[in-house]
Amino acid sequence: MKKTLTLAIAAASIAATYAWAEEPRSGGIINTVIQPEPPSIIAGLHQNAPTQTVSGNIYESLLRYDTDLNPMPQLAHDWTVSDDGLVYTFNLHEDATWHDGKPFTSADVVFSTDVYLREMNPRTRTILSHVESIEAPDDHTVVFTLKNPFGPFLLAFEAGTMPMMPKHIYEGTDFRDNEANNHPVGTGPFKFESWDRGRVIQLVKNEDYYEQGLPYLDGINWHVIPDASSRAIAYENGTVDVLPANSVENFDIPRLSELDNTCRTEQGHEYFSPFAMLWINNREGPMADKRFRQAVMYALDREFARDVLWNGLGKVPLSAFGSNASFQDDSLPPYDHNPERARELLDEMGYDGEEVRLLPIPYGETWVRWAEAVKQNLQEVGINIRTQATDVGGWNQRLAEWDYDLAFTYLFQYGDPALGISRTYISSNIAKGSPWNNVEGYENERVDELFDLAATAYPDDKREEYYHEVQGILHDEVPVGWLLELGFPTIYSCDVKNLVTTGIGLNDGFKNAWLDR
Amino acid sequence: MLYARLIIMRLLKAVIVLFLIVIFNFFLIQMAPGDPAAVMAGEAGATDPEFLRQLREQFGLDQPLYVQLWRYISGIATLDFGYSYRQQMPVFDLIMDRMPATLLLTGTAFVMSLGLGILAGSMAAARAKKLSGSVIMALALVFYATPLFWVALMSVVLFSVQLDWLPAYGFASVGTGYTGFALALDIGKHLILPATTLALFFMAIYTRMTRTSMLEASQQDYVKTARSKGLASGVIQRRHILRNALLPIITLAGLQAGQMVGGAILTETVFAWPGIGRLMFEALMQRDYNLLLGIFFFSAALVILFNIITDLVYGLVDPRIKEAS
Amino acid sequence: MNFFARFAQNRGALVGLIILTMIILMAISAPLLFPESPWRMVQRPFLPPLELDGFPMGTDTMGRNVAAGLMHGAWVSLLIGLVSTFVALVIGVPLGAIAGYYGGLLDDALMRFTEFFQIIPNFALAIVLVAIMQPSVTSIVLAIALVSWPPVARLVRAEFMSLRHREYVEAARLVGQSNRTIILRQILPNAMSPIIVMASLMVATAILLESSLSFLGLGDPNVMSWGYMIGAARTVIRQAWWLSFFPGLAILLTVLALNLVGEGLDDALNPKLSRERS
Repeated sequence: MKKTLTLAIAAASIAATYAWAEEPRSGGIINTVIQPEPPSIIAGLHQNAPTQTVSGNIYESLLRYDTDLNPMPQLAHDWTVSDDGLVYTFNLHEDATWHDGKPFTSADVVFSTDVYLREMNPRTRTILSHVESIEAPDDHTVVFTLKNPFGPFLLAFEAGTMPMMPKHIYEGTDFRDNEANNHPVGTGPFKFESWDRGRVIQLVKNEDYYEQGLPYLDGINWHVIPDASSRAIAYENGTVDVLPANSVENFDIPRLSELDNTCRTEQGHEYFSPFAMLWINNREGPMADKRFRQAVMYALDREFARDVLWNGLGKVPLSAFGSNASFQDDSLPPYDHNPERARELLDEMGYDGEEVRLLPIPYGETWVRWAEAVKQNLQEVGINIRTQATDVGGWNQRLAEWDYDLAFTYLFQYGDPALGISRTYISSNIAKGSPWNNVEGYENERVDELFDLAATAYPDDKREEYYHEVQGILHDEVPVGWLLELGFPTIYSCDVKNLVTTGIGLNDGFKNAWLDR
Repeated sequence: MLYARLIIMRLLKAVIVLFLIVIFNFFLIQMAPGDPAAVMAGEAGATDPEFLRQLREQFGLDQPLYVQLWRYISGIATLDFGYSYRQQMPVFDLIMDRMPATLLLTGTAFVMSLGLGILAGSMAAARAKKLSGSVIMALALVFYATPLFWVALMSVVLFSVQLDWLPAYGFASVGTGYTGFALALDIGKHLILPATTLALFFMAIYTRMTRTSMLEASQQDYVKTARSKGLASGVIQRRHILRNALLPIITLAGLQAGQMVGGAILTETVFAWPGIGRLMFEALMQRDYNLLLGIFFFSAALVILFNIITDLVYGLVDPRIKEAS
Repeated sequence: MNFFARFAQNRGALVGLIILTMIILMAISAPLLFPESPWRMVQRPFLPPLELDGFPMGTDTMGRNVAAGLMHGAWVSLLIGLVSTFVALVIGVPLGAIAGYYGGLLDDALMRFTEFFQIIPNFALAIVLVAIMQPSVTSIVLAIALVSWPPVARLVRAEFMSLRHREYVEAARLVGQSNRTIILRQILPNAMSPIIVMASLMVATAILLESSLSFLGLGDPNVMSWGYMIGAARTVIRQAWWLSFFPGLAILLTVLALNLVGEGLDDALNPKLSRERS
């Protein structure tokens, strides 16, 4: 059965008709900003956001995804899934080459996934734990055989999660210390040109790109401007054409959006679906009581935060599953802002005014303001809150060592509960040392079981049943506070066309973009 | 001869102080919560113990502290400042890469503040009893009391956003392909706002100091003598009063010059100036130990160097000091 | 002429004193005039000044009363300025006194130690210290004190060196007073005037330092200080000038007033002594 394939082709052609309404023109260089300056732009080496954003235009994976997260062809021009959901076969582009001229083959895929990424990327490592074998029957075919069905497997071939790395450069070397890390070699539409540290990263058009006519742009300049107001000014005076999400403060967004010839889109983050949450340390103090955690949910004025701090963008979540995640149960009753109910719950549990520490996430002014608002919300229902200031190092340390009471964070959902949601709630994911696992210390056997069943069930309608049950339990027990599904707008000059056409946004967006100047 | 020995002694002492500073700083930054591996893992959005172990091993953070310290010190002895974890580059290259921008900025600000400060100060001293003198001093006091970052922000809003006269940030326009004179002009334009804001504070200090010292010097006996000899007041002003008023100014100038590398953090941040100050702040936030230590080493070395230079200049201006030491 | 007459002769110092008194009054009356927490979100955000009764300075990004923040902030800024200066004096005065009084090797060792702290640029060291201790009022006060005591030590040392051979000190020694008594009873009181003058200027510098730290995001999130207000307003400076204007003005006036008062004190206490410091 090749239903996925037909679906993909349909999606691709819809995207094509929609996007190519105007005749694209070649030429021109786009100036944009990157914040903060990435440690490297080797896709496989670093997983932080700026690295992914720049390297997503240099490196590619087998697939990409539209804004509804349907797979689209990339290095694989088509693919099939066996009826039992165990064998995934990818057919690769035959004329794809690396930037140094060497041909891209199935051997690169096997090397990248089975060797390089298994060693280098913890998130990919987890996904690949479901894979029994990766084989290359010929130069342009790759077969992944799974140990068990894994529902979201086809969502894993995104450029940041499963980037293809050149075997001829990395095989047998120390991946982290390879000399070539200063000069990325990928298969993507843009080639690395130069990196003037602290100033600008320049990419230029890959003239030999295997997709005919692409890319349209001659190059991309990623400017490094460490100050948010300076970045806003750079856009205003025309130095940069594109402000990626998170590059200016939220308070500046309405003003910038209203400038002449300025376009804005909230699309391009469907794959990541950033979800802001409040870690609640379930292990100790009043937080160990379910009623306290429910009281926190009732105390929060999440609409205020969305409207005042996030310019009305984003969605107030019902429970653990965001609206972009599959299998959301939207019949659950929302936790409305209800200070009265919060006080009742606190009285009922006999909260004695014990001090509760709140750890903001040090990622800019909006988050600091948000922590202040949350503090006010909680104080108003009688919770004794003290804010702890910290920087990125301290924040990581405190969360990794479980030295916190309440803490802000935001997590990516990666389009599927098994990729981005279960990791927060399953007890096997409780381990010191990481700020991204089950940091709150929530343990529930039934929840573990349900997530496990759902991840390996096949096909999707079986998964739904399990996921609905688990959402009900989580909604009642509130292991963490669900703050907001964030809406990250990209602001850009309307001269830039076709900028965001996928659910990965700018991370692979410049491939189709063109300049109308 | 004596002079040369003096300098050698000072240099020897400097090496010892630098050595102590390295050790002090090494332990200081170890006390900060989190390490570079944790920060990088945190930025990655996903991590597991294996990933952290790999990073720590790569950075050498899995070794006992004394081994790390020994490695660092023996590295420095051969002028190897190690590798920046975060930027994936040798620390020395990174610092050398950023140094010119910082020296250009702080050097310009230094010359500007010293020149204008002494000028304004001596004008104020000459017009001590007039309104114009009071106006200069009032202005100097206001500049002295105004937060630097505030002036920086306001000047960006006024000169870049409202008037559009000067670029708001950065070192040079990107992608222009300027060379030679055009490039210099472009950098010059970018330099005006940050250098001026940085200069204002020190200019205020120099103005006040020059005025005070000159007024004091004018009360001294030798000036009175000169006056009674009938020398023109302009000559007295320049030859006698200013020269003696220079001593405290030289002290301060030495201090300011020493702080040139580390003193521009705020200005560099607001104006996105690609210098050492900004690099230092980023290195601190990312717990990039080697880089931070390297920057501290260089800025400390510069302070010590300027302390020595100050003493030498002092000796030239006032021969009595040389004999005393 | 007595102290006050000399002080009052300096008109600037009088103006400074008046401003300073007003700021202190502001700080004291804050809990009476604005009994609610300055963090409370009480009106719609970005309300310009004078638009609504009770909000003479408008509201901030989250609808908090700027006037309330400014009044409560006066208290915090002054407190941080005073306490960190006090701590710096506690460190610097004894070290300077011992070095200056005993001289010799001890002096040499202490001065090397002092230099040590001056070799890392002040602001850089303060940032590192706050980052290490993590931002809180205590860590900020400590960091400011740790970077600002060396000039105190140097000043006190210089004073002690010039005073230790005075006749009344020699006399006290002959009478058999202990070194401790001589330092505390004989020399220190006579060295007080320049210390007081310097302290008044240090309070001003400390307030500036705190605001710079807050501006970089290294302030204490539990207290409303002026530096915090400017730091928080920085991102909206284009939409809402008043948010950074008023606290900026408050810092400027306070620092100005402290400097003017310092100069007045200098005139009043050291009519003949030179003013080397700026």
